[in-house]
Amino acid sequence: MSRTSTASPAGGLELTTGAEPIQAWRAWALTGTRDGDDLMLRPVARRSRPWKPRQPTEAACTLARFHRAPHPGCTCGLHGTHAVEILRKTKCPAVLGRVALWGTVIEHEYGYRARFAYPQRTRLICQFCFWMAGPYAAAPEHVGWFPKDDLMPICDEHLETASRYGLAPRHVLAAEAVDQRLRETYAVDALAV
Amino acid sequence: MDIGQPKRIIEIMPTAIPVPGELEPDLAPARTPEREPEREPQPAGPESADRRSR
Repeated sequence: MSRTSTASPAGGLELTTGAEPIQAWRAWALTGTRDGDDLMLRPVARRSRPWKPRQPTEAACTLARFHRAPHPGCTCGLHGTHAVEILRKTKCPAVLGRVALWGTVIEHEYGYRARFAYPQRTRLICQFCFWMAGPYAAAPEHVGWFPKDDLMPICDEHLETASRYGLAPRHVLAAEAVDQRLRETYAVDALAV
Repeated sequence: MDIGQPKRIIEIMPTAIPVPGELEPDLAPARTPEREPEREPQPAGPESADRRSR
């Protein structure tokens, strides 16, 4: 990426320009109907704002409405990380992927906050396997459907454990079919880890 | 998720937006509109009158 550097008044941060989107790691939550239709990627932290298929997602600040996200003095913006390992701390992720970031992008020590973003590659993950083994864990076999249309990819072992503790999903779908339908919905490629 | 301290701001204006399908015009990269070349005024005369009648 060719970039030019200039002195910046933006909070003392260096300001550079570029012509190619930045690629970063990201995790999403996933919602969809009981039959696996209307699949939608959503932020893990605040699930109310979906990432609509085939449209750039634009950041909006919910903390202070008088600045445009991302703002140097805020935490707003669409997040991505340099390394995949940091995402193991994410709360209840369902999808792991690579995301393209552009517009105003603030680079941090371990990741980015951007104004515009769109997924490039995706893969369903069992959140328990991801938490324990990282991105190299085996792909989940199932996707559990829960009320409010929450979809949770889960492996054989953890589905059995969840059922034993009375936390079984109301309905179970085949993960491979949901994974493929998600990629078709967003027109993205499979993430190979 | 803690991504640490901010280091720099990057303004990225991509030549190609990485989203399949149609784009909203205000999300496409800004481009300078091309100006049409100025044309020489056509003198009024029998030839131009003849062209108009065609």
